[in-house]
Amino acid sequence: MTLKHVTGLLCAAAMSLALAAGARAEDKVVKIGVIMPMSGGTASIGAHAKAAIEVAMDIINNAHPELGNLPLAKNAGLAGLGGAKVEAIFADNQGNPATGQNQALRLITEDKVAAVFGAYQSGITLTSSAIAEKYGIPYLNSESVAANLTERGFKWFFRTTPIATDFAKIYVDFLADLKAQGGKTDNVAVVHDNTEYGTSVANTISAAFKEKGQPIALDVAYPVNATDLQGQVLQLKDKKPDVIIMISYTSDAILFAKTMQSLDYKPPVLLADDAGYSDPSFIKAVGKISQGVFNRSSWAVGPSGSPSAIIADMYKKKSGEEMDDTVGRQMQGFFVLVDAIDRAGSTDPAKVQAALKATDLKPDQLMMGYKGVKFDDKGQNVLASGLIIQLQDGENYVAVWPKANAAKAPMLPYKGW
Amino acid sequence: MRRLLWLSVVAAVAIAYPLLLSSPFQQRLGALVLLYAIAASAWNIVGGYAGQISVGHVVFFGCGAYAAMGAYAKFGLSPLFGIPGGIVLAAGLAAVIGVPTLRLSGHYFSMATIAVAETMRLIVTNTDYLGAAVGLSGPTVPRNIFDLSFLSSLPYYYLFLVILAITLLITWWMANSRMGFYLRAIKDSERAARSLGAPASRTKLYAFMLSAALTSVAGALYAMMFGFVDPESGLGILISVKILIMAALGGAGLLFGPLVGAAILVPLEEISNSWLGGKGAGLTFVVYGAIIVLIARFQPGGILSLFKRRAKPNVDKGAGHAP
Amino acid sequence: MSFVLVQVIVGGLLLGAVYALFSSGLTLVWGMMNIVNFAHGDFVMLGMYVAYVVYTLMGGGPILGAPLATLVLATLGVIVYFGLIRDIMKGPMLAQILGTFGLALLLRYSVFWWFGANFLSMPQDIVGGTFAVAGLRIEASRLLAGVVALLVTFGLHLLLTRTSLGSKMLAVAEDATAAQLMGIRPDTMQAIAWAIAAGATGLAGALIANFFYIVPTVGETLAIVAFVTVSLGGFGSVPGALVAGLLIGVIESLSGYLIGAVYKDIVVYVLFLFFLWFRPQGLMGKM
Repeated sequence: MTLKHVTGLLCAAAMSLALAAGARAEDKVVKIGVIMPMSGGTASIGAHAKAAIEVAMDIINNAHPELGNLPLAKNAGLAGLGGAKVEAIFADNQGNPATGQNQALRLITEDKVAAVFGAYQSGITLTSSAIAEKYGIPYLNSESVAANLTERGFKWFFRTTPIATDFAKIYVDFLADLKAQGGKTDNVAVVHDNTEYGTSVANTISAAFKEKGQPIALDVAYPVNATDLQGQVLQLKDKKPDVIIMISYTSDAILFAKTMQSLDYKPPVLLADDAGYSDPSFIKAVGKISQGVFNRSSWAVGPSGSPSAIIADMYKKKSGEEMDDTVGRQMQGFFVLVDAIDRAGSTDPAKVQAALKATDLKPDQLMMGYKGVKFDDKGQNVLASGLIIQLQDGENYVAVWPKANAAKAPMLPYKGW
Repeated sequence: MRRLLWLSVVAAVAIAYPLLLSSPFQQRLGALVLLYAIAASAWNIVGGYAGQISVGHVVFFGCGAYAAMGAYAKFGLSPLFGIPGGIVLAAGLAAVIGVPTLRLSGHYFSMATIAVAETMRLIVTNTDYLGAAVGLSGPTVPRNIFDLSFLSSLPYYYLFLVILAITLLITWWMANSRMGFYLRAIKDSERAARSLGAPASRTKLYAFMLSAALTSVAGALYAMMFGFVDPESGLGILISVKILIMAALGGAGLLFGPLVGAAILVPLEEISNSWLGGKGAGLTFVVYGAIIVLIARFQPGGILSLFKRRAKPNVDKGAGHAP
Repeated sequence: MSFVLVQVIVGGLLLGAVYALFSSGLTLVWGMMNIVNFAHGDFVMLGMYVAYVVYTLMGGGPILGAPLATLVLATLGVIVYFGLIRDIMKGPMLAQILGTFGLALLLRYSVFWWFGANFLSMPQDIVGGTFAVAGLRIEASRLLAGVVALLVTFGLHLLLTRTSLGSKMLAVAEDATAAQLMGIRPDTMQAIAWAIAAGATGLAGALIANFFYIVPTVGETLAIVAFVTVSLGGFGSVPGALVAGLLIGVIESLSGYLIGAVYKDIVVYVLFLFFLWFRPQGLMGKM
């Protein structure tokens, strides 16, 4: 009887898998596996990423001459593959490294995807890219920042996003500039959660400031998804740092904003490290009491009619949300990957890998504010960069630094509510 | 005799499965079923046979996983060499945890084990030596066969099958020994068992240590297969719950209960995720949750108890309830 | 004692009152029916969403949202009792974990399906912001939750010890068969207990929503705190949950401020384990 259950279930499993395998790729479709967190605590990231990639597919598969130099936009489909369409197959990593790896295996062996794209959390990017490496399938990551990802000697792994060392440098330079303009930025506190993202970014930032001869004055760590952050805010209120660098996911970012208001604490400069502070939910929930928060971003909307403004509109229509840095980086990564497949003129993994290595995109070919896309031997984009934006009115971020990209001048001090 | 027949059929199916359903994903699914069956069977010793519902077994799972990855990451050894270390660590930790907590009754024991597990997760999260929140990785490119890093899931499958067989043999042997007799008596009524002279504390502790040691092996194998462990995937409370519900679903306190539970839940989870996960609407867990609720509602003693009762009416006191 | 420390302790007490508030429902069913409800955190989450829907659809604040959340959750409690709990109660403890864990996933991801995964939040001014007393800053929304926590605890305690309904419920908890012989219907009593417990939990959710973020997975964060609070207080003891909640709140606040936030939960768990060593039945539980 046990057996009947087991075999019955296994038969069902086998049938489902056979069906999936039966729908083999047509020649005219290029499949790309997309692994994202679509359930669990970071599911909103996956939902946003899905909408963004659907917009990207629209841009690639249909003619969008209004998008200027953006590769793949002008004509419908991939010119290099006779007008083939791109199809993203989404998979949920459930916030779990094991599930992410299982799904990578499924996408590669069952769906026969040409490349894998993912997977947000660094730990899951680590395990899922290991499978792609073993199978020799290109893997593009657009948002995980852990340094060790590109230190594994992988040949099939490429990363377009700037990493902690890049933005630590941005912070150092930005604060130096503020100081030159008469701001007080000597006493810097770093506030971060104890996740892999929070600790690794905090360590990198601390090292960068130390190198600059200006060691971090205060390091406040807190457990992720905290129920209460009063103690941390009081600690900051007590020590009165000139600058606070915040490294938080959405949940804690919202709670920090609320707690700072209730305890009436405003640091002179509040500088956030992307993540939660870029989430549109954060702005909707507490934007009005976080006016003047600085944030790191590689995304800035251009004037109306510019490619970035058009893309932002398309994304808003699709998802109902404002475009933010995280989805922007994901969309950009997807474009880079598909552009390489287009130039390879084939879905043959080795050819796509060669095309990725030969990638050399200029700023005007990008939707993000990178200086370009060009991979080093380890697969890291060496031209990734970012800028500083500020939530001046509590509703929309505007670029404020560096001057060349700034839409407005930085507003000081932090206004709060 | 009938039992032996069934046993050989199950064994034959288990051995033939990855050869009949030979796609990489199917083979991996099979390997995962066996892996969770090992963990759930190990839990079954203390949770099913002794009736001590530990919700903190992930601590021992984590011991194995961290020992295996640590052997590689810290000493450059094959993760295999971490297994004995994991076993010793888990059994030792079980003794330390077990002495104070096993005397707690019912729910207090469960809550204490949750607290222990969460404490360990938090400590490891804040310990740089153990990789803190970043975790530890295994060999990315296998140096030799002992690194146990294979492209195919086939070697994992048969390795797990052998270890599951060993686990079940140990469980069977224990259940039919004096210790199993004591455990059943303790589960029915600890006070009665004590008054009849059964060494309740010692027996429970031994069962806890044995269960912990075997759970650590499952953790080590898990880390080797995925090549990675971090505090969430190696010490997260959800893994404890997952192990527990597999045993409960199949039939706790029954030799093959955990295997049946794993054979249902693992494919259910992976396949529903493959079908529904990409839609991003959380449907995977709606389906998964609903099925668990239905089984608990209509078969509270686990799937296997259904057949057990039919074969021998009025025996299964531990799992029984009025129809 | 420095002034900051006073603020930390006051904050801890308010936090603890909130812990007590969302634990009182859990301790009631746990004590009365010996049921461990793994879906408890998700009941809190549902209460938060009811309050949020009341706010977005009708513009109603806590005056409208809190009673509605209580009502909706109480109804759900009765449905869950008759649909699931009544049957798994008779099974082993494992069946209860299995059933309520499945229920937790079902509730959490049904909400997820309907509302999506975005973080939601109530507007800041819905419960009158923050006021200062002798330099201490107190959030009105937290104070409201704290006061309600005291009222709920007091009310439940009175109900159980001073009313005939309470005596009947306790009689069923003591011995359902004997109670039935006395003419009390265990089913009805237990269904009422579930309605009260779930209603109190919904109320807690609606009040917490005023100062916390709202997301389908928020119950996970809260559930473990509730478990520890209830076992520390003693299963079934409503006053015990209040004392335990306040204790945990203050310990968390103090250790978070003095030792470091990442260690505060370790401190709580270790103290909890030590406490069980000396008093295995919890603060106010019966042996």
